[in-house]
Amino acid sequence: MRTEIRGIDLKKLVIGVIFLIFSLTAPFFLPSAYVYLLGMMFLFLIFVISWDVIIGYTGQVNLGHTVFIGLGAYTAALLQVPSRFQGSIDFLASMPKAPIPISILAGGIVAGLFGLAIGVITLRLKGYYFALVTAILPLVFMKSLYVFSDIFGGEEGFSIGLERSLAESTTLRYYYAFAIFLISFIALYIIVNSRIGLRFRAVRDDEDLAESIGVNVVKYKVLSFVVSSFFAGIGGAAIVHYRITIGPDLYDIPLMLLIILAAVIGGLGTLYGPLFGGIVVYLLKNWWLQSLLPVIPSWLPINDDVILYAILIAVGVLAPEGVWEKIKEFLRERSGSKSSRRS
Amino acid sequence: MIDVAVRILLYGAVIGGIWALVASGFSLIFGVARILNFAHGIFFILAAYIGIVLIQSGINSYLSTFAGIVIVGGFAVGIYLGLLSKIKDHEVMVIIVTLAIALLVEQILILIFGEHGLSYPDFISGVVRIGMTPITYDRIVAFVVAIVVLTLLEVFIHKTNTGKMILASSQNYEGALLVGIDVDRIFVITMFLSAVLAGVGGVLYGQVFAVSPAVSLKALIFAFAIVILGGLGSIKGSIVAAFIIGYITTIANQFLGAQWSEFTALLIIIAILVIKPTGLFGVEE
Repeated sequence: MRTEIRGIDLKKLVIGVIFLIFSLTAPFFLPSAYVYLLGMMFLFLIFVISWDVIIGYTGQVNLGHTVFIGLGAYTAALLQVPSRFQGSIDFLASMPKAPIPISILAGGIVAGLFGLAIGVITLRLKGYYFALVTAILPLVFMKSLYVFSDIFGGEEGFSIGLERSLAESTTLRYYYAFAIFLISFIALYIIVNSRIGLRFRAVRDDEDLAESIGVNVVKYKVLSFVVSSFFAGIGGAAIVHYRITIGPDLYDIPLMLLIILAAVIGGLGTLYGPLFGGIVVYLLKNWWLQSLLPVIPSWLPINDDVILYAILIAVGVLAPEGVWEKIKEFLRERSGSKSSRRS
Repeated sequence: MIDVAVRILLYGAVIGGIWALVASGFSLIFGVARILNFAHGIFFILAAYIGIVLIQSGINSYLSTFAGIVIVGGFAVGIYLGLLSKIKDHEVMVIIVTLAIALLVEQILILIFGEHGLSYPDFISGVVRIGMTPITYDRIVAFVVAIVVLTLLEVFIHKTNTGKMILASSQNYEGALLVGIDVDRIFVITMFLSAVLAGVGGVLYGQVFAVSPAVSLKALIFAFAIVILGGLGSIKGSIVAAFIIGYITTIANQFLGAQWSEFTALLIIIAILVIKPTGLFGVEE
C-alpha cells in the first residue's frame, strides 16, 4: 500500500529528507578525509544517474560513457591550463583561464555536442551497432590522448593547480560537489518524469509501437543520449575542479565497470536505484573493500576489481532487474505467504 | 620499394587471417544466438596462456595446443550454460555480464602472469627469404593454419548436418524450432565453435607476436571493428573485412608508425559507419 501526498510517495520523501540531512551535516561529524571521499562519491553519482537515462530509460547500451566524462574533464582542464596548447595550436594557448562555472558548463556542452554527433551517426541503426561503436569509442579516445600527449599529458595526465579548485577548504568543496550533484539529479528527475521521459520509455519498451503512435524514435534516442552525455561532461569537469588533476582513471574501463555495477545493482531505469547503487558501490570500492583486502591470502589471484566484477556477474544473472527489486519481491512473497496461511 | 610492398602483402595477410578467425567466431555466436559476446577476447588469450603453461610443464607442444583450445571451448560452453542461457532474452544484461566476465578473467590473468607479454613457443622456427624480405616460418604457419581453419568452417557449415542446423538457426530462430531443430543444443555447439576459432587465433597470434592480458581487449575491439565493417552476423563479411583491416593496420604501421596502426583502423570504421552503416555485407535488422 502506498502512502501518497499529492502524488509524492511518502516513503521516498522520508528517505530523501534523511539523505539530504545526512549529506548536509556530514562535514560536521566526519573526518575530512571521508568528507573528501563523499564529495568524490557525489560526483561519481552524477555519472551513474546520467548513464541510467540512456540505458535504463531509453534502453540503449552506451558503453562509452567514460568518454563523455573524459571529454568534459579535458575541456575543463584545458580551459584552466591553456598553455598546454603551446607549440601545437598556438592561438588557443593565449586564452585567458575560464571562470570555474563556465569551465564546468563548457565540459558539459562539449560532451553533449560530441554525443549529438555520435548519436546522429549510430542511433539511426537498430540495436547492436550503438553498443559496438560506443564500446570502441573509449579506445579511440585513449589512443588520441596518447598520440597527442603534448596537449593531453598522456598516461600521466596533468594538474590544473590548486588555485583553480572549486574551493580551498575541503568542507566548502564538498558542499559545491553536493550542490552540483543535487542540481544534476533534480534536472534529470524532471526530464525523465516529463513527457520527454515518457517517450524515452516508449522507445525502450517497443520501438515499433512507439514509431507507429507517432514518436520520432531516432530523435528521442539522440536527445536522451545528448542529455546523458551532457551530464557526464558536467560530472567530469566538476571532478577535475574537485581534485585538480586529470588522468586515465577518469575515462578508463574500470570506471565504466563501476558505473555499470552501480546502476545494475540499483536497478536500471529508476534513477533512485542507481543513486543508491552508486553510493554502495563507491564506498565498497574505496572504503570497505580496502579494509577487507588484507584478509585475503596473497597467493589467491583476487583483488578489489576481481571481487567487484564477480559481484556484477552474480547480480546480472541472479537479479537483472536490480537487487532492490529482488529484495522487495522477496518481502512481498513472504508477507503474501503469511497472509495466505492466516486465511 | 618492392621490398616494402612484399612485406605489406605478407604481413597484412597474416594478421588478416588471425583477425578473420577471431571475428568469424564472434559473428557466428551473434548470428545464431544473438549473443553479443564481450568475453570473446578472453577465449583468444586464454587458449594461448593454457597452451604456454602446458608446454612449459613439459607436455608435447601439439598436444598442449590442442588441449588449450579444447579447454577454452569447454570454458565457453560452461559460461553459456551456467550464466548466459539464463539471461539470453535480456540483451542489455548479456552485454554487461560478458563484459564483466572478460574483465574478471583479464584481471586474474594479470595477477597470475603479470602484464608483460608471453611468446608462444614456435612449432617450426626459422626464416625464409621471399625476394629481399625475411619472413619467419611462424608467420607462414599462422597464415596457412588460418586459411585451413576458415575453409574447414565454411565446409562444416554448408556441408554437414550440424552445420546446416547452425545456419538454419541463424537465419530464422522460430523456423528452426518448427522444423524440429534442437536449438539449445545448436547454441551450445556454436558457443564451442566460436571459442575454438578465437582460441586458434590466439595461439597463432602468440606465435607471431606475444600474448598479454591486454591483448584480449585488443582482439575484442578488432572483432568489433571487423564485424561493423563486414556487417553484423555475416561470416563472409567478417572474413573479407578482417583482411581489409589487416592490410590497413599493416600499411599504417609501415608508413606512420606502430601507434597509428590501430588508430587509423578505428577512424576508418567510424567513417564507414557514416557512409554505409550496415557494413559491406550487412543485413538490415
